[in-house]
This record gives sequence, C-alpha cells and structure tokens, in this order.
Amino acid sequence: MQSLATKPQPFLRNHFVRDAIGQALYDAMIVDASIVLLGEGAHIKQHYDMPTILRGFPDRIVTMPISEDGNTNFAVGMSLLGVKPVVDVIAGDFLYRTLDSIANTAAKLDFVSGREHTIIIRAEFLLGGPTTGQRPEAIFTHIPGLRVLLPSTPREAYGLMRDALVTPGVTLFFEDRMIKDDDDWDERDLKLEGCVPSDRCSWRMKGQRGNVTILTYGVMRQVVERALRSVPKPTSPYSDSGDISEEWGMQCDVIDLWSLYPINWGFINKMLERTGRLLIVEPDVTYGGIGAEIAATLAEMRPGVRIKRLGAPRTTVPASPAFHSQMMPTEEQIVSAIRKLNQ
Amino acid sequence: MVLIRVLEDRLQELCNTGVLAADLHFCKGQEAIPVGICAALRETDYLVAHHRTIAHAVAKGVPLEPLVAELLGKATGMNGGMAGEMHMSYLPKRFMFSFQLVGTCIPVAAGLAWAVKNYHKTDDIVVVFHGDAATANAQWHEGVNIAAVQQLPLLLVCENNHLAGNVRPEHYLPTKFVSQRAGGYGIESAIVDGNDVEAVLDAAKYAVGYVRQHSVPFMLECDTTRLGKHKQGQGDLRPAEEMTALAKRDPLRNVDRSLYRDAEEQVAQAIETAMRSPDPVLPKP
Repeated sequence: MQSLATKPQPFLRNHFVRDAIGQALYDAMIVDASIVLLGEGAHIKQHYDMPTILRGFPDRIVTMPISEDGNTNFAVGMSLLGVKPVVDVIAGDFLYRTLDSIANTAAKLDFVSGREHTIIIRAEFLLGGPTTGQRPEAIFTHIPGLRVLLPSTPREAYGLMRDALVTPGVTLFFEDRMIKDDDDWDERDLKLEGCVPSDRCSWRMKGQRGNVTILTYGVMRQVVERALRSVPKPTSPYSDSGDISEEWGMQCDVIDLWSLYPINWGFINKMLERTGRLLIVEPDVTYGGIGAEIAATLAEMRPGVRIKRLGAPRTTVPASPAFHSQMMPTEEQIVSAIRKLNQ
Repeated sequence: MVLIRVLEDRLQELCNTGVLAADLHFCKGQEAIPVGICAALRETDYLVAHHRTIAHAVAKGVPLEPLVAELLGKATGMNGGMAGEMHMSYLPKRFMFSFQLVGTCIPVAAGLAWAVKNYHKTDDIVVVFHGDAATANAQWHEGVNIAAVQQLPLLLVCENNHLAGNVRPEHYLPTKFVSQRAGGYGIESAIVDGNDVEAVLDAAKYAVGYVRQHSVPFMLECDTTRLGKHKQGQGDLRPAEEMTALAKRDPLRNVDRSLYRDAEEQVAQAIETAMRSPDPVLPKP
C-alpha cells in the first residue's frame, strides 16, 4: 500500500491525482506484462511523471508521433494480440482528433468480434483557451461500447485505473488537472490500494434528510465541498425566529460520480428518497451534457423531484484568464442554487 | 480464385433476388492478389483487410460455412452474425480484422505488427490490404509513418484498381504510381501485374521474405481491374468499351471450366447450411 500523504509538495501544481494514476500504472505493470503505455512523448512524460515506470519498463513505453487518430487505431491493433494499451491523447481537446478511431474502431471491437479487448484512452482537462479548455466527456457517454471515468480524488484515480486495467472493454479515463492539491482530502482519499469499481459512486458528504442532494463530478466535487464547508455547521435546525435556519438547509448530501458511464442509478434514486430535491453541478457545458441526462433519467424515475442544474456556459473558452472564473460554476452560485431549491 | 469468383457470383444472385439485403463489396477481377499473396505467407502470419474482404478471408483459409453464415447475418457466422461483411475476423486462421472505414486498417495493422514483434516476439509478419484510394486518407499516412518509424514487419499490399467507388484517380492520386507515396516514408516498394497470379506469387515471396528478414515495412503495388460494381445497389458509370477491354485482363479468363464444378458444390452447400441457421440474439447493452 502506498500513501501520498507523506509525499513532499510537488513543485508543479495539481499532481496528487496524476501521481496516483502513475502509481496505479506502475503497480499494474508489475503484475501484468501485457500493459503497454503509448502516446505522444510517452517516454518523456514518464520521465517527469513516474520515473519508476521509465526505469522499470522502458520497452513497454512507445513514443508515438503527433497523430492522435492513428495512435488510437495502433492501440486497437495491439489489443488484437492481447496487449492492454494505455493510449495517452494528452489534452481532452485532442480527443476530437481521434474521435473516429474511438467511436468507429475501438468502441465496436468487442461487439463485432465477440471477443474481449482491454483498451484505456487517457486525456486530461485544463482550463486554458479555445482548444485547450474543452471537456468532451459527455460526447463519449453517448457512444455504445465505451466506459467513461473521471476520478476526483487520488484514491479514485488509483483504484479506477487498476479496475479499468482488469476489466475488458474500452475505457475513456479522464484526469481533471483543475483539481487543486490543497484540497482537504482525508486520509482515506490519499490511500492508494485496490480497485474502485466503475459502476459505483461515492457519498462524499452526509446532509440532513429533507435537504438538497448534490450530484457532481470532477473538479466541481471540490468546489461544491468548499462551498458547503464555508457555511457554519448549525447545532439546531431552527433559527432564533423558530423557522428552519438557512445554515441547516445547507447540510446537503454530496454524491461524487467518478463514473459518467455507467452511472449508479440505483444508489442515486435511493438517495433522492431522503430529499426529493436535486442539484446537479457539472464542470462541462450544461446544454446536452451529463447533467441533462441525469436530470431526465431521474425525472422519469421519480416524478415530482425538484431539479436544478449548474454548469459551464455554451461559450468558447477564452484564452484570457480574466474570464476563466465564468467558465465553471462558482461557490457563490452553488450556495445560491441550494437556497433556491430549499424555498 | 475460382472459389472466390463462384462464391461472389452466388452471393450476388442472393443480393439480386433480395435474399441478401446487405450492400456487399465484391472483388471480381482482383482475385489473383489475395490468392497470390496468401500463398506466399506462413499459416502463422497475420492478415488485416479493408472492406472488400470476402476474397481475403477465403484466401487466408477461412472455412466457407462460418464465412457465408456471417455474410448472411446468422448466429453460426464466424462472428456470430454481428460483424457482417466489413468487420469480420477469424482468429484460427489469423484473419485478424477487416474495416469498413477506408484507411483504418493501416494503423491497426501497424499496432498488430508491433505486438507480433515486441510482445509475442516471433518472426511472423502482418500483411495489410488496401486500395489505391485509401492512400489519400490520413489514416493511411499516419499508419505508414508509425510503421516506418517503429520498423515494423508490415507488408502493405495495394490493390490498385484505379477507382475510388466510381471516382477516377485524377481526383485523389497526384502521382503516377501509388508506391511513390511509400518512398516518402523511406519504405521500399515494387509494382506487379495484380491480375497474373504467378507474378503476384513471385513478387509476394520476395516481399514477404524482405519484411521477415529485415523486420521493416514493404509495399507491393498490384495493378488490377475491378470488373464489377463498387458495391451492390450502386451504379457503375464506366462505358461498355472500357469494361470489354478490362475483361481481357480477367485473371480467370483462361481457367478450365471444370474447376468450377467443385467450387459450385462447396458454395451451394455453405449457402444452404447458412440459410437453415438461426438468426443471432442481440446482446444486452
């Protein structure tokens, strides 16, 4: 068992989740000789991210040209002979370059052959600019034959990668580089051991019965938890005037979806029995997004549930950092949305 | 070659009578290429194909019954009826995959060749078939580039029928020969008459030996003629005089008709068996 809790602060920002993925790959490569890492600058990436992989398995890293679509098709070819390729596409935006090989080749492989192949396609999110800040995760949940994972803690990142590497099928594995390392993760979040099954989700914060249930994923899990922590914890449900206090209303259930497909509908449905009110907070464009699918499915499952969505505007991400705070829901917007749902 | 011709002719009849709704891609006139190439391969060598793939399957030794059942969408097909014509695979004969989308087969075959060389660590080779028009696609170039950089044992066989569907090369090929493109990646190549099965076999023996010995890609351009339509259900705009001239190059023009009898029997048997087979059950999502 490894723990990142004792690791010295990295000099680059937001490395805990990335290190957990690297550790998962290293631990898995020790026990499974069929795992091969490939991507643009793959050797150099491991030099910086996980030098133990570079030292231990230099022949199982393949540095590829800048040809994303060809690289993913190449990985499909590897998988035909039992190799488990982990293709690094680098930025989420570049996934559009390789949409054909993912949707038309990899996603169809098991279905048309009747055999099992294991392929992982990695990409990361950063809020940069027009083509360095997009989040294409929702598109991939729409394509049959793909599993879409997006961990928000080091434990999930480690466990989901280990799980994906022993589960047949094609996994889109997203790394959210916007998740800050100064998050107040508890010890459990930093524990790197075992698999985290992709068909579950985690109940991050326990709220009060009758309050709002918040469904979130990726970096927004962190923002939601911060927003809720900023409200003082009340000792009694009632304010001085005898009504239910606003602070009490902020005691919400928070569910973190680490898997965007499949989604653990049974658990979410059960959680809504406690509350009947749902706030979906997503980092991606709201229009046609994950939140829309969740809202529609839960409205069908539980008619009468009150639902509100918060997400990114349907706007090209500007290069200027001055606008970046408007590209995702803020703590203030989350608090205000909870208040509205409580009314 | 005769078996491929007879099989395609009988399947075409099924298409014409509406029994087979699928828009199959037949290779009439191009049979000598897969037959000549596969005759030069070891049984353990791997094959990846494009969408005009029935001939490749037969030439690589895939038995007729699972092949025909797959084409008819039956549960007894080589992929349970779920692949159809353009996504077939049959591992016992190392017929690894076929791809509908033009060009996709090249990088996939390169990945397969990487796994053969660096994971299985054998001296088997991978042969990938593609058309002349596929060389205009980015996937062809990305795949060939990767294979050349990684020094992979990949034999590229170009079936140059001078057509992309109904479109002529002036719209997609700026060079006189397709193999000139391979030169841009430092890949050796050769050109052969793809309608002369013995010439294809001779060239294939050299090419296969070269790839196996040096563990690098090689391109064999086979000049050929497509005597049928691009696919069933689509017209063909070529004038009758051109078709008559092309028919003079038919690789099967001098074949003894007595060879057809056995092939007819085998094909009729396979079609009859497939027709009696159950439809597949859709797997749960």
